[in-house]
Amino acid sequence: MPKNSYLPWYFLPGTTHYYENVLLLNKHSDRQISQYPVVDHHFDAVVVGAGGAGLRAAFGLSEAGFNTACVTKLFPTRSHTVAAQGGINAALGNMEADDWRWHFYDTVKGSDWLGDQDAIHYMTEQAPASVVELENFGMPFSRTEDGKIYQRAFGGQSLKFGKGGQAHRCCCVADRTGHSLLHTLYGRSLRFDTSYFVEYFALDLLMEDGECKGVIAFCMEDGSIHRFRSKNTVIATGGYGRTYFSCTSAHTSTGDGNAMVTRAGLPCQDLEFVQFHPTGIYGAGCLITEGCRGEGGILINSEGERFMERYAPNAKDLASRDVVSRSMTIEIREGRGCGPEKDHVYLQLHHLPPQQLAVRLPGISETAMIFAGVEVTKEPIPVLPTVHYNMGGVPTNYKGQVITHVGGEDKVVPGLYACGEAACASVHGANRLGANSLLDLVVFGRACALTIAETGTPGEKLSPLKPNAGEESVANLDKIRFAEGTIRTSEIRLNMQKTMQNHAAVFRTGDLLKEGCDKMDAIYQSMEDIKTFDRGIVWNTDLVESLELQNLMLNAVQTIHSAEARKESRGAHAREDYQDRMDELDYAKPLAGQEKKSFDQHWRKHTLSTVDIKTGKVTLGYRPVIDRSLDQEECSAIPPAIRSY
Amino acid sequence: SINVLIVVNRVYQVVLRPTLACPVSTRGYKGEASDDSRGDLIEIPLPPWTEKDGETMDMKRRRLLFQSRKRGMLENCILLSLFAKKYLNTMSETQLRQYDRLINEPSNDWDIYYWATEAQPVPNVYAGEIMDLLKEFTKNKDQEQRLDAPNLEYLDKGSQ
Repeated sequence: MPKNSYLPWYFLPGTTHYYENVLLLNKHSDRQISQYPVVDHHFDAVVVGAGGAGLRAAFGLSEAGFNTACVTKLFPTRSHTVAAQGGINAALGNMEADDWRWHFYDTVKGSDWLGDQDAIHYMTEQAPASVVELENFGMPFSRTEDGKIYQRAFGGQSLKFGKGGQAHRCCCVADRTGHSLLHTLYGRSLRFDTSYFVEYFALDLLMEDGECKGVIAFCMEDGSIHRFRSKNTVIATGGYGRTYFSCTSAHTSTGDGNAMVTRAGLPCQDLEFVQFHPTGIYGAGCLITEGCRGEGGILINSEGERFMERYAPNAKDLASRDVVSRSMTIEIREGRGCGPEKDHVYLQLHHLPPQQLAVRLPGISETAMIFAGVEVTKEPIPVLPTVHYNMGGVPTNYKGQVITHVGGEDKVVPGLYACGEAACASVHGANRLGANSLLDLVVFGRACALTIAETGTPGEKLSPLKPNAGEESVANLDKIRFAEGTIRTSEIRLNMQKTMQNHAAVFRTGDLLKEGCDKMDAIYQSMEDIKTFDRGIVWNTDLVESLELQNLMLNAVQTIHSAEARKESRGAHAREDYQDRMDELDYAKPLAGQEKKSFDQHWRKHTLSTVDIKTGKVTLGYRPVIDRSLDQEECSAIPPAIRSY
Repeated sequence: SINVLIVVNRVYQVVLRPTLACPVSTRGYKGEASDDSRGDLIEIPLPPWTEKDGETMDMKRRRLLFQSRKRGMLENCILLSLFAKKYLNTMSETQLRQYDRLINEPSNDWDIYYWATEAQPVPNVYAGEIMDLLKEFTKNKDQEQRLDAPNLEYLDKGSQ
């Protein structure tokens, strides 16, 4: 602690002072001072997040000779990518003749024409090469008899532009594709000397004059502050499922990257598009596979009725995911929900023979017993449509560079890149197809690395940075650490989650959304009154969870305000009061003779949202969808049409 | 040359392995097939896990609390944070070190879930008191509803 004589006379209460690598905060009128040692690092590139996308970017950069740092709050193989059990889509053509242009068509259609076709072109064209590359890195894909990579069918994948039947393009590693991906990339990147900073929580971006000059993070192990200065910062922090009461995501999906970008004054894109999976366990949110319904399981309401017969007379319980989700929600809203609060429905399996349950669906019995206390051979499982994926995020172009929209033009933010679920390239548009997410991770992780390698050189000198850069982030951390309000972190978090679940879930109408917006604004304000209890600085889980709550709050307000403003139904955003898509032309009717609606009058556009941090006020803007592919001759863009399966 | 690669990898692993009294499980990764019939399974070694030195019991508990609550998938987040709530503050030093190893050494979080639910046999290196406690806890004999990871405030001395 420097002697008082070194402290400047102007070190008044409420100010900070940076002296000899220690940041001092003078907080109270009795000159109580918090001190945080600051360590500065210089790297050619910094990646925030060590999931599939972060590791692929870090590995690509290290391989290209860039001195790379990877800052992560979790050990790399414990990132949420490990939960992925599906696979990676790629038009390798091992099971039947295939063409990446058919995959392109499926993805554009799946996105309900909100996806940027240049980014989708890039992703589907690069897919086969990316999978082969992973295979060469040592990823042990499941194989067919003749040794080629085995590919299985998955939802939404077709041949010949939707006219040739089901396509088999999903490559997997048994049921542990996510883990295999992480392990392979982590192992490889270590050979190229990537520096990993594990269990460091990234606080904010270091922005100066609209350029990103690095990241400031705090080390959980010893409470020190680290500034990672770099010309290239890649955000790969994942999604923000935890804004909802019920989600399939781990407790680590807190939208840290989106919040960092918002605090830097940059917009986030399409946050209202949140994908729901029909059957997650009530409360816990753990996924119950669609296979249960495939084996004969049925959904029932409080009257014991198999209600899907009314909503989908043919497909019944096996109708498409968004139809099932919406039906379940209507039943609950009309008062036929189950349980003491009548807020979920039941998935009944006990009418099936016990041997069938044991053999075909063994994991379900365990999960139901552990997380719902339910014996599946005797009782039904409580389920609810559950948040599963965030299509929205930090807006980027197809090269992975973060963009803003100024004067009607896309403008690149220098020094900042994003990939994975945190980014919005936008390849998934309004709805994501299964097995496209892992593909998104590897293709755009690699794209960020390639773009950085193209536009820079290793060992480049860094531009100067103000000596007290990042002090607001540390001041915020200190404020949260010593917060003495009246509302506990867990209470505010529960309020936010229940509000989002009740007002911005599968069922959305104008009144419900408007009410939700007002409630969320009030909850945002209640953050000023937050109360934490752990005052330590080393391994302070309370502090980390409160910082994560701040991040979640920013994501939640943008999501609900964007949803309230969007007056149409498209993909995963379905509104009861505006049930149709509103495009620039009515694609349900013949196009000849129709007049194109102006940009302000239709909804086939991306939402860009920003937040005033102090007041919590959300401002919305819009940006057009990119309808051209990268090369019209190689792959012509798909014009919008009515989406039916 | 693939065989050379595998041998080189295995040697690399042995060299990296610290000399510990107890058997060390390798953190290398093999694909799904246990028999390498095509001879192309490449074992990719990760740096072996080592125990942290010079940590007080209190610090260990705080670290393990964070590491129990923040896992790769939801099932483990809920299970381990509830387990930590029940047992972490009363674990002895040996038990803490066993728990530390159990939740930090395995590379795939799903493995911990399968061992706890007894869907797969527990490797010998992880068998012990803590593993037994975890398996018993997972059975949920009292059939309590496990809706979510608990809030942290059970640790708040001031509220008690």
